[in-house]
Amino acid sequence: MVYLTKDEERALDGEYGWAIQVAMRILVKLGDLFKADRLIPIHSAHISGVSYKTLGDAATEFLEELAASGVKVKAPATLNPAAFDLERPQLMRLTEHRLNAQKRILRLYEDLGVKQTLSCTPYYISKPPRNVHLSWAESSAVVYANSVLGSWTNREGGPSALASAIIGATPNYGMHRPEEREGKVMVTVDADLRSEEKFGVLGIHLGKLLGDEIPVIQGLKSPKERELKQLGAALASSGMVSRFILSQKSSSLPQEKISVGERDLKNSLSDISSEVEKPDLVFIGCPHCSYSEIKEIASILYGKKVREDVRLWVCTSRHVKRTSKEYVEIIERAGGKVLCDTCIIVSWIEEAGIDSLLTNSAKTAYYAPNMNRVEVSLASLRECVEKACES
Amino acid sequence: MKKIILKGRPIVEGKARGEALVSSTPLNLLKGVDVNTGRIIEEGHDLRGAVVTGKILCFPHGRGSTVGSYTLYTLAKRGRAPKAIVNELADPVVVVGAIIGSIPMVDHIDLTKIRSSDIVEVDGEAGTVTVFRRI
Repeated sequence: MVYLTKDEERALDGEYGWAIQVAMRILVKLGDLFKADRLIPIHSAHISGVSYKTLGDAATEFLEELAASGVKVKAPATLNPAAFDLERPQLMRLTEHRLNAQKRILRLYEDLGVKQTLSCTPYYISKPPRNVHLSWAESSAVVYANSVLGSWTNREGGPSALASAIIGATPNYGMHRPEEREGKVMVTVDADLRSEEKFGVLGIHLGKLLGDEIPVIQGLKSPKERELKQLGAALASSGMVSRFILSQKSSSLPQEKISVGERDLKNSLSDISSEVEKPDLVFIGCPHCSYSEIKEIASILYGKKVREDVRLWVCTSRHVKRTSKEYVEIIERAGGKVLCDTCIIVSWIEEAGIDSLLTNSAKTAYYAPNMNRVEVSLASLRECVEKACES
Repeated sequence: MKKIILKGRPIVEGKARGEALVSSTPLNLLKGVDVNTGRIIEEGHDLRGAVVTGKILCFPHGRGSTVGSYTLYTLAKRGRAPKAIVNELADPVVVVGAIIGSIPMVDHIDLTKIRSSDIVEVDGEAGTVTVFRRI
């Protein structure tokens, strides 16, 4: 049973109103289910279930009732991407109904006091400190927080992250407990991972084998931040992994072992990537681009022109777009588009005349054939951008 | 009339009695259920075409997007929800949905002991499922 303070008990009994009661019920039930001992305060919440495409009408009615109650989030809370760029709604070619439904959802979250960050990389906007407790949904951000930032979060869903934001706490289980954050499977990689999309392929391969087990990965030679971002996003797509570890004290290395070679990666690559002769769209930005990725895209594009018959879309947060303005201008002058607040997976690109795409994101390659009914080919950021340009 | 009492784990309080609708396939609440009609629309699902409204809905566990929880809320609000939910293993998506939809729920139940059209009583406080079957 989850131990509750007197005040938390009053919240559960409904003394602070329906909305706080229902949020508290969610946290206590999940806590009971996963054997949490108590609720612990969180540094921030990150809420998924924002795009009208993934949310649908059902959720809107729940958000309406919450907002009507007048409740506000207690912990700082951020939002995942929506179905279109708020400043360029026409790019996604959405119907009037979908545009309005999306705007309505965003207004409801705003009424609840949630920040309109609309990004899957909230850590580029405000980086949480090490060793703080978070309640984050968006699986790629969960793995990044636990593995790269050293913050602590379970793999929340949209509703549980929202409940945590309202209460300002999360049940203490899983990734919040040191003993459950240790590696369970030793992974040795013997393959040449030259660029970030290869790390993504490794993630897709491992995710299927690991389920929700935490891997200790050996054999990655000084990986870059963006490579770890791709690895984590992919691990969380094909698996339920919440954390990976790159180094662990040799006294506590796990017994179970997996080795990965070139051949495994080749097989996993051919599972998610097809030959696309001429992509309709070249897409960079899953997860959303960092400042340094925007800068690199601009340096490749400098002095070049994007071909007339292909679209080059770069997705990032409005915050990063603002801070990398000079590079954004180079990309747009070359004919690319830097989109904010959205991502292609949570929009209806298949209805915007896009049947095939080239990307550096293994997560996109894993989801887009089902979520968007498009063909996907995987390549490095450099290859993607160069392919979009006139020769 | 044969009476079988199954002991499980209480998840969401409340009591309900009704006709069982039993599936051996995990259910995707977001993509799999039409909130206007209560009909299961998930492709390849063994209950595709069946209506959950007023039934004791029995399935192994949920799957897919976490925002599927909201489906149970909206079904309840439109009077289209199942009367109770029985799972083999409760997962967060279904649990949160049952809480916000105020739908009694019990898990840790062997679903092979229940057949569609059995009359079933669910007690969400005691964690029991009582099956009444004509013989």
